[in-house]
Amino acid sequence: MEGKIIVITSGKGGVGKTTATASIGAALALEGKKVAVVDMDIGLRNLDVVMGLENRIVFNIVDAVNGKCQTQQAAIKDRKIDNLFLIPASQSDNKNVITPAAMKKFCVLLRKEFDFVLLDCPAGIEQGFENSVIGADQAIVICTPEVSSVRDADRVIGLLYAKSVQPKLLVNRIVPEMVERGDMLSHEDVVDVLSIDLIGLVPMDESVIVSTNTGAHLIQNNKSKAGQAFRRVALRLNGNADLPIEVPQAKKGFWKKIGFGLSRNK
Amino acid sequence: MEDSNSQISEKKNPAAKLRGVGDSLWVTIDAARSTEELKEELDTLFRKLDHLAKGARVIIDSGIRGENDKLVELLGQFLKENYQVGSVSLPPDNISNSEIRLRQRDLDRSWYQHSSDVLMLTGRVRSGQKINARKHLLLMGDVNPGGEVIAGGDILILGNLLGTAWAGQRGNTESIILALDFKPTQIQIAGYVAAGTSESSGKYLEFAHVENGTIIVEDYIEANPFGRLPWPKVR
Repeated sequence: MEGKIIVITSGKGGVGKTTATASIGAALALEGKKVAVVDMDIGLRNLDVVMGLENRIVFNIVDAVNGKCQTQQAAIKDRKIDNLFLIPASQSDNKNVITPAAMKKFCVLLRKEFDFVLLDCPAGIEQGFENSVIGADQAIVICTPEVSSVRDADRVIGLLYAKSVQPKLLVNRIVPEMVERGDMLSHEDVVDVLSIDLIGLVPMDESVIVSTNTGAHLIQNNKSKAGQAFRRVALRLNGNADLPIEVPQAKKGFWKKIGFGLSRNK
Repeated sequence: MEDSNSQISEKKNPAAKLRGVGDSLWVTIDAARSTEELKEELDTLFRKLDHLAKGARVIIDSGIRGENDKLVELLGQFLKENYQVGSVSLPPDNISNSEIRLRQRDLDRSWYQHSSDVLMLTGRVRSGQKINARKHLLLMGDVNPGGEVIAGGDILILGNLLGTAWAGQRGNTESIILALDFKPTQIQIAGYVAAGTSESSGKYLEFAHVENGTIIVEDYIEANPFGRLPWPKVR
């Protein structure tokens, strides 16, 4: 079995890397693939909390990479989804305890064990980023429609190309109403600057915060637009590359709809 | 080269041409022709002028200065005798010899031998990437916000310029920065700095240059900075 290693990165912090990792990982697992989500943010671990697995951590990625335990021992099985595993970060070490060379070897082991490995890359472009990218086959660059995020994503895309990792773009936290009013960059503006292939557009969604706090899976909430968008990203990764990309639309009230219909008849 | 020139002119151009320049008559002659041929041509030209030629100031331009002085003198004598022209002189000396040679060389298609100092690139300069050109830089592509392009000479961007551009790094104030969509974060020309504007006109092709110690951004087509050069010149 030769799995695929996908790094989820952004450069800027707080754009939704961890949420995206957890959601896409869960969706891939629901498709019947054996999936590992790996928290690379050593010293600032989050992914375990988002997935509600913080009380089950025994070994972490530092132990696994440095040979103190087996890969299977470090991989924590999810509470709800059978094929989903978490390899948590260590909270007490810093990023230099893992070297890129050791990480590359570890990626070989992961590839044998899992169909998909999602690496949750820390913010920044230092050692943590280097470690995450070294063994990856593919990258998903998360970007929000803000100029600062676009700038950082652009830098990361340049670095990924330099390491011959193919990046795909996921635009997160789109507020269609603001885009319509012209108060927010549209995804076209973002793609114009970054000019890489799009893998998904995810709208702003309050249910993300709810599921993050409760440790429930976002994609299992059928009402969550963001969850469903992440699910479609997972389908695209899982061989359905042609699945059309849905652009988040502003909700239109009943009266607005009527008004729209009338104005078009004129 | 000389041969092919004279062949062409034999087919197309008369041996001598006449036009009015200021208060004098400017006669351009082809020095490669025989004196007889030239005299014949001048005859036909000046016969038409009739009394206008009397006392007129005539300038005889034989192309390269200093080489055909004897011929000019001979033709001047001929004109004075036959048409009573006032004075005959050589073209005014405000064009230097070296410049004439330069012009000649350029027109001689010597561009074949000219090797260029332009760094010509295609693609996109992303945030954090830096392009450093020794002399001129021509980029067919875009410069993203946070990208930097630096050149010793001019910077020409056939695309969007959203990042930073520094031209004329060795103090060359003649350098320009040009982009199809001119929205730089910041530009520098020979040490002069200008903060970029987020809005470009969108309608015009804009370029930046230094004038009286400040950077000025103008419509390239309207300003046409190189349109008035008399002939193509190596930059």
